[in-house]
Formats: sequence, C-alpha cells, structure tokens
Amino acid sequence: MSGPGGRSDEQVPTEDAAAATAGDDLPPEAWAAALAGLPAMGPGRLRAVLDTWAPEEAWAVVAAGAGCSRPSVALACRPDPAGIAALWRVAARRVVPAQVWARHCQAGVAVWLRGSPEYPAELLVDAEAPAVVFSRGDPAALEGRRAAIIGTRRCTRYGRDVAYELGRDLATAGVRIVSGLALGIDGAAHRGALSAEGAPPVAVVGSGLDVVYPPAHRSLWEQVGGAGLLVSEAPLGARPEPWRFPVRNRVIAALAEVVVVVESAEKGGSRHTVEAAMARDRQVMAVPGSVRSPVSAYTNGLLADGCHPARDALDVLVALGLSSAPSAPADLRPAPGPDEAPVLDALGWEPATFDELCERGGRAPGQVSVALARLQAGGWVVERAGWWERVT
Amino acid sequence: MIASVPSATLLGVDGTPVSVEVHVSNGLPGFNVVGLPDASCRESRDRVRAALLSSGLSWPLKRVTVNLAPSSVRKGGAGLDLPIAIGLLVASGELEAEAIGGCAFVGELGLDGSIRRVPGVVPLVAALATRVVVVPPGCFAEASAVGRHKVRVAGALAELLAALRGEAPWPDPPAPAPVPAPAAEPDMADVRGQAVGRTAVEVSAAGGHHLLLSGPPGAGKTMLARRVPGLLPPLDGDDALTATRIHSAAAVALPPGGLIVRPPFRAPHHGASAVALIGGGTGHMRPGEISLSHGGVLFMDEMCEFPASVLDALRQPLEEGVVRVCRARASVSFPARFLLVGATNPCPCGEGGPGRACRCPPAARQRYGRRLSGPLLDRFDLRVVVSRPDAASVLAGPAGEPTAAVAARVAAARELAAERGVRCNAELPAPRLDSLAPLSPGAARLLEHRLRSGLLSARGVHRIRRVARTIADLGGAAGPVAEEHVCLALSLRAELAPAEAAA
Repeated sequence: MSGPGGRSDEQVPTEDAAAATAGDDLPPEAWAAALAGLPAMGPGRLRAVLDTWAPEEAWAVVAAGAGCSRPSVALACRPDPAGIAALWRVAARRVVPAQVWARHCQAGVAVWLRGSPEYPAELLVDAEAPAVVFSRGDPAALEGRRAAIIGTRRCTRYGRDVAYELGRDLATAGVRIVSGLALGIDGAAHRGALSAEGAPPVAVVGSGLDVVYPPAHRSLWEQVGGAGLLVSEAPLGARPEPWRFPVRNRVIAALAEVVVVVESAEKGGSRHTVEAAMARDRQVMAVPGSVRSPVSAYTNGLLADGCHPARDALDVLVALGLSSAPSAPADLRPAPGPDEAPVLDALGWEPATFDELCERGGRAPGQVSVALARLQAGGWVVERAGWWERVT
Repeated sequence: MIASVPSATLLGVDGTPVSVEVHVSNGLPGFNVVGLPDASCRESRDRVRAALLSSGLSWPLKRVTVNLAPSSVRKGGAGLDLPIAIGLLVASGELEAEAIGGCAFVGELGLDGSIRRVPGVVPLVAALATRVVVVPPGCFAEASAVGRHKVRVAGALAELLAALRGEAPWPDPPAPAPVPAPAAEPDMADVRGQAVGRTAVEVSAAGGHHLLLSGPPGAGKTMLARRVPGLLPPLDGDDALTATRIHSAAAVALPPGGLIVRPPFRAPHHGASAVALIGGGTGHMRPGEISLSHGGVLFMDEMCEFPASVLDALRQPLEEGVVRVCRARASVSFPARFLLVGATNPCPCGEGGPGRACRCPPAARQRYGRRLSGPLLDRFDLRVVVSRPDAASVLAGPAGEPTAAVAARVAAARELAAERGVRCNAELPAPRLDSLAPLSPGAARLLEHRLRSGLLSARGVHRIRRVARTIADLGGAAGPVAEEHVCLALSLRAELAPAEAAA
C-alpha cells in the first residue's frame, strides 16, 4: 500500500530528519513524486526516467545532473538533453523528497507507480501510460463500466442540459462518468452524475490535486472527491499550465470505454481527447446539435464522419453493451395552446431574442410576450440573459 | 463717498445676490477688493481701471475699497466687473446715486470699455430682486427668459453711462436671432421593423422608465435612443426654467428663444470622468451631464465601457432626482431628474449570445457583464435585447409609425399619470400601487407564480407593475392591469445578468 493509510506514521519523517538524512527510508513512490514535480518533466520524460532507473536511483542520477546520460532518456529530452539535465539538477537542489512525500501523505493523496498493484489496469496496457498517478478518493470508483462525457467550456444551455441528463441517467444505470471538471460540459456531466447518487464519478484533472482549477468549481471538485475519485498526473502544487490539459485528455480517453462529445467548436480541446480515444480504439459518440451552432460544428462533423450519435443515455448504454435502460418519463407538460404553438415553432431549437421572435412570426410584442409567459409557466421555454431557449 | 450696487454671483446652478459696496476716500491712492473674491474676481480691478480710462472717464487718485457683501460667500467670475465700475462712478461723484435706483448690473468689462457676456445669466438674474437689470447685449435672451424683470442692455460703458444720466435713450436690445428651421429631431418613421425596440422606446418615454438596450453593433440601439427625446412632451414652466438655469450656469449654448422648451438630450462619451458626469470642480462648481439632461434624456452609449465607479455614482441621483456635490469649501445641490437610456454590447466582441459567433473567452464576457453592477441594472425598468433587423425590413419594409403619432400616445399617457398626482408612472409610490395599478386575477396569478419560483423579487414586482400600468395607459385600457400588460412588461425586462453563472 503506497497511500497514506496505515504506514504514514513510520513513513513520514519529520522535517528535521528529512533535512538531515535526506530520507533513507522513503518508499519508491516518494522519489517518483519528487521527480514528477521537476520542471519540464512531462509524462514522456518521466516515464523514460523511471523505465531506466529505479525511483530512488533515478532521483540520485537526476540530482547529480546525469539525467540524460542514457540514450533512452536523452531521446525523450530532445532537442536539448544537456539543457534539460542541467535544469533538473538545479531544480532538484531545492526539492527535499521527504517533504514532498510528507505533503502527499498529509493531503491524503495516494501515489500509484506503474507496475504497482494499485495502478489501474486500464492504464497499465496503454502505450502512453503515466509513470505515476496521483489520486484522491475511492479507488473502487474505477471498477465498473466507464463513459467519458466531454465538450466545450463555452456551451449553450442545450449542451449543458444534455450533458447533465447524460451524466444523471448513465450514473443511474451504474456507468461511471469520467470527465475533466472543466467549466461547461464537463462540469454539467459531473453535476448530473452526482445528482443521480448512482455510480461514483471519476475526474481527471490537469493540475495538482490541491490546486482547484477552475476556481469556480471548488465545491464540485470536493463533491467529486468525496463521492468518487480524483485523478491527476501532476504532484501536489502543480499549476494548471496549458500543456497539462491535452496530456490530461489522453488519460480521460484511456480510462473511458466510450467517449461522448456533447458540444465542441471545430477547433476545441475535445479534439485531443477524441484523437486519443480513436488511437486507443475507444468508441467515440457525438451529440447532434444545430447545424448553425458553432459549438456543435465539431460534433456534427464527427457524426458526418460516421461516429454513432448519442441522443440519450440509452444510445450510450447500447454502445457499452448494457441493455437496461431507464424508461423515459412521460411528458407531463400541458400542451401548448393555439396561441402559443406558433411562437414555439418560431423559436425552434436555437436560442432567440424576444425581438427576433416578434420579427419571425410577424406578431405584436404584446401577443408574443403573453405566449412566452404561458410557455415559460408550462416549462416549454426558459429565458437566460434576454435569450429564449426551448426546453426538451 | 460710498455707493452700493446690487448684483449676483453663481453658486452651482443658483445665483446668490451680492451687494457691491464701493468706498472712495482721501488717503494713499490704491484699489482693494475684499469679501472673498476668487482670482478672476480680484483681477477685475485692472479691467475696471482700463475700461474707465478708455471710456474717457477719470480715475480717482484716492483710496478705493470694494466690498462684496455678504463677505462670507465666495465670489467667482468676471460678472461683477460692471457693478464695481458703476459703484466706483457713483462713489466718485460721476453719477448720481438716484440714476441707478432699482437697477442691478451683471457683465464683464473689456479693457476698451465694452461689456461682455458672462455664463450663468439666467440664475444670476433670477436671484435679483430689483425692477431693472442691465446685462450685456449677448445675454438679452437669457435674461428675458426669467420674465420678472425689465431687461436693459448696453454694449459699452460709455453708452451705459449716457443712458443712466438720461443723456441718451437706452440702446435697443439685439434683434432675436432668426429662428432656424426647427432642428429636425430624428423621427421614429426612420426605424423600420424593430417592433420590440420601438415598443420599449415608447413605454420608456411614456412612463419615464429607464431603458437599457443590449445588442450587437448595427442593431439600431443608438438610432432608437436618439428618438426618445422627440417623444417626450415639451418641458413645462418650472422644468423649462430649471433646465435653462442649468445650461446657462454651465455655459452651454441656449436655443434662440432663450428658454429651453424641448427636453434636452445629452450623450457623454464613455471617457467621461465622474465629475464631468455628476458635477463638481474645485473653484467654481459646474453641473455635470446628469444635470444638463434634467427633464430630458441622458444617453450612455457603450455603457459597459464607462468605468464602474462612474456608473455607480449614478445610483443616488437616479433614485432622488438631485445630486448633492460636497467639497471642502462649498456643497451644492444640482437638479438631476433625467431619463437614462443605456446602450451596450452583449460582450466585448459584440456578437455575444448563446450559439452566436462570439469570439470572447468566457472570463472576458463575465468581466464585461459585471461592469454594470446589480443595483444599477436593477434601476432599469426596461432591459431589451435588440438584434440586427433582417435585410428585407431594412430595404423594403414599410416606414415605421412617425414620431408625431407615437408622441400623441405618450402625451396622453403622461396626462393620465398627472391625474394620479405624479409626473410619470415610474414615480408611482409603491404603497399606492394597489389602488392606482390594480391587477386583474390573471395578472396577479402570473406575478405570484414568478414570485414563488424566485424569478422575481418583491421590488421587481413593483417595477413590473409600474411598467405594466404604462403599457395599459398607452393601450388606452382603463381599470385594472391585465395579464397581457404584465406579460409584455416582463418580456421587456430581460435578466441581463452576467451571461455565465458557474457553469
């Protein structure tokens, strides 16, 4: 057991002792965590270093400035192996592995080395498996069927609602929702999963597990950590540097059996996840959107390329080979009246302003406002910041 | 010898009567001005001396003391030049004291003896209790706007002296400037399509409800806003005089008739400072843009580009209709009852809106939306998202209803408000809403539903009821406010909160 449980008493040296002995009795995970915290230590380089030497020995070599002395490591450190070795040497002087280890133990963060018994089996067989995984929460959250729900941070209400419903319905059916805890779709999917109180959610984040990013998601972060599992490749204190997110996306792809893209613009970050998923033969599904919505451009493109559509949780369950689908509840809303139906038709499935609705139907603002008020009371439409949207 | 001449000085937008006392006695020749004069006032001794000499009058080689009473009030401006010169002439025996009985004087002197115009003649004259006031020729229209005095003009000191001595008739007042063709206020007929924008503008003008227009560039926000003053009824007596007083004190050009009758329209640029907007200044307190738009429309284009501190300074005057500016030396109240019309883009790139081609990062959009604080946003009874009109209605659509037709409805609605004892429905006091704007059963149900579901606050309900009352008045519906009026009021008050709540 490499986590804090049970062993922390004898494993955690006091700070004085750490400074004096430089930690002779530290477990291999401590050295690996210290290595992972060095600058310019991406997953490829960390894996090359830890494949070449045992963790403790690796630390000694790197701290001595000989980090790129072997061809396998030097290859991972192109184009400037000497410069990177020097960078590591300088940075390693300021790092006390015993303190790093103590910090992880105190924060309740488990450190899994590739090859250790706790290391997730799905990642073990991956071609780009992380050499070290940091996690917080219940490791059992990974045991079961898993689907990733991903998408843009700049989503529409439609996307947010679909992500929420997919998360809720899949979690109810016992599927673990894997996502990235970002704003927009990711957050909505996790909120949905939490609301179902079904299968535990799994979040793969780009920063250290103590650096909440985005800050707006602090409470969601805590809830996911409490109900499920938080996973990161970065040690505690790692900032959310931009390069960590594409790297994080490959872990999402590796951990999921099916990747569902809800909304994404043509050049969104979801592309990285989808490419990583396709490289790993994971099934990619896309939620169809309006052909006029820029944030559905990529998902509609995926559908055109032959991806399966994910219209609801049932589609995803079928893709996972699970047939037990919750039956859709009947629509209890009162049917729109004769005055309201034309306004609902004019609204269609894209957001529109009050102004546009009056113009489309050629009706007076007074009439349209009455119809909208009735539709809103009936739960057919919602208004946000002056924009009206139809509710499924 | 001693002489005393009535005049006035400006404090904010109000005049304060000043008695200019001149004492001439034997002693070491000298000229002193006492009684808290500011720099421009103290310099008047040089102007007065030169003006007297160039007018062919002698300068007394005696000790001259000028006191500006009451001596506790600070005096500013060059308007006291003329009364000082007249007082000196009386005190030195050049002019009989009886000749100036019942006359007050306001004007700046040139070195050649000419009498020049000064700012703020309207409030200055309004503060004077004499029967006759003598002002520079350029100020005749302004001084006449007050209407209580016999206004005399004189273009030069020598001319004035002759008229006072009875040696020559009083100079004729300047012929009123030819009234230019009524400056065509923009007409509502130019607005094609835009049913919602037109409705919002009409309701705003009729009920005095502050209006915020949000929409992409080219949606016609500015076009709509510029047509609001044309819909407002002309200013009535008191308001016209107050507006004229403010414009005069701020040295803003007045219309040819002297009196401001049409509601003013002010559109400050978003670089304006808080002082420029609210009023103030160190020496001489000048009214700001909000006072200059008293009785009319203050249009703030690109509202989110104004600094947040400047915007929040608007909150108190919006509520109270006056702004109190306090400085170490003085504190003055400026009237500031105006209709605020704001225009803003939904986000920095202007294209915002769900699913639109917005290029702004979410954080930038949130920052932009937060410039308008909640309390300020709450003061807008009408918040409307306008979109670009479609090509067909711009090119081939029928012309809109002209201003004259809309203004007639607005005037009728304002009359109904006057019968309720308020200027406009936005001022209806909350306790009287139940009697003045009763709700039909359907309307009450709708508002109750909104209140229960948390979509509306209690104060929001009051605001909706006032707007609904205006909508009903415009539609000619007497009696209780119906459901359709409340629905339209709700639709015209979009929640323009920062677009993205925490995902």
